[in-house]
Amino acid sequence: MTPEDFDRLQTLLASRAGFRLTRDRMHLAEHRLGPVARREGYHNVEAMLATLWNKPVASLGWSVIEALLNSETWFRRDRAVFDVFARELMPALTSARPGGKVRLWSAGVSTGQEAYSLAMAALESRADVEIVATDLSQQAIDKAASGLYTSFEIQRGLSAKAMLRWFEQIDEQWRARPELRKAVRFQRANLLDDTADDRQFDVIFCRNVLSDLEPGRRAQALDRLERRLVDDGCLFLGFDERPDGDSVAFRPVAGRRGLYVKAPSAVRRAA
Amino acid sequence: MDLQTCLIVDDSRIIRKVARRIVEGLGFEVDEAADGAEALTYCMAAMPHVVLLDWQMPVMDGLAFLRRLRDLPGGRAPKVLFCTIETRADRIAEALSAGADDYVMKPFDGEILQSKFAEVGAVQSPS
Repeated sequence: MTPEDFDRLQTLLASRAGFRLTRDRMHLAEHRLGPVARREGYHNVEAMLATLWNKPVASLGWSVIEALLNSETWFRRDRAVFDVFARELMPALTSARPGGKVRLWSAGVSTGQEAYSLAMAALESRADVEIVATDLSQQAIDKAASGLYTSFEIQRGLSAKAMLRWFEQIDEQWRARPELRKAVRFQRANLLDDTADDRQFDVIFCRNVLSDLEPGRRAQALDRLERRLVDDGCLFLGFDERPDGDSVAFRPVAGRRGLYVKAPSAVRRAA
Repeated sequence: MDLQTCLIVDDSRIIRKVARRIVEGLGFEVDEAADGAEALTYCMAAMPHVVLLDWQMPVMDGLAFLRRLRDLPGGRAPKVLFCTIETRADRIAEALSAGADDYVMKPFDGEILQSKFAEVGAVQSPS
């Protein structure tokens, strides 16, 4: 791959996905695009990219984009988040909401581990939750919905006890049991797209998504999150992510890393 | 704080070496044993904080070691993580009911081992 190819990939990812493909990912990009080139019938990555630059085909372009998104995730990533959710938020929300129904959104769920981690916590405490999980990548969403994980993936963050309780072994893989799969609704969606969908959620998990966005798109993403969160709802961001440079809508909750609530100004504006 | 110790029990010297490097990276002082009998002798002298335990080994296998360990005075204290090529669900369940705290299926990597150590509370980890 030439530096020019990489420049054009950066532009493609930024314009179509709002994703910031940093230069240190050049080697990774080459590695990830190899299988895409083979699958699409090209001799090598260069040949595939030459075709893409000459006559952009939407489906090929999207395959390239999906291969380059950051899909890194694991079960109970940043375990403190899941402890705060299960021990504090869920009991409080269950008693505060009519009928006890709590609505969760995992935005940027990638291959599903975050959503299933939430579902396990909810089912174990018999809480009534509705979990919607979205991601930009169709490939990631398909894998998430299948509930199938390799032994590498299933072990990362999940105890053997939880694995046996919630997953069944299928040859060399592990599949989420039907009750777990039924607890989550997976959908492909771009956080940056305007949608007519304005359903609101009690808790939104959008972790390690903002940090991969083009800096200019973060305010837009935070604005979407603010609109989809009820006024007394909670937002979890990644531990290294801060909304303050891009939005005044949220304030951090002291002592709860990664947890944000709406700032009073955002609530007043909505009212 | 006292240095935490981890005993790695595996009949493969290569696996012990790989595991040692990862576990030392988690801040543990590491000792090694090549089978369950050696490991049991070690534990009778001084209980480690964590035992990383293979299943199939000559002399005394991992499951036999675990059962004997749990019957020793103070033998319930160490966190025991099986680390083996046995990946069948019923074998994993057997190990857990014999008193294993968690279970690692080979092959593994540093990220898996770190998350398992965090799961049993052997390391403080944000992840």
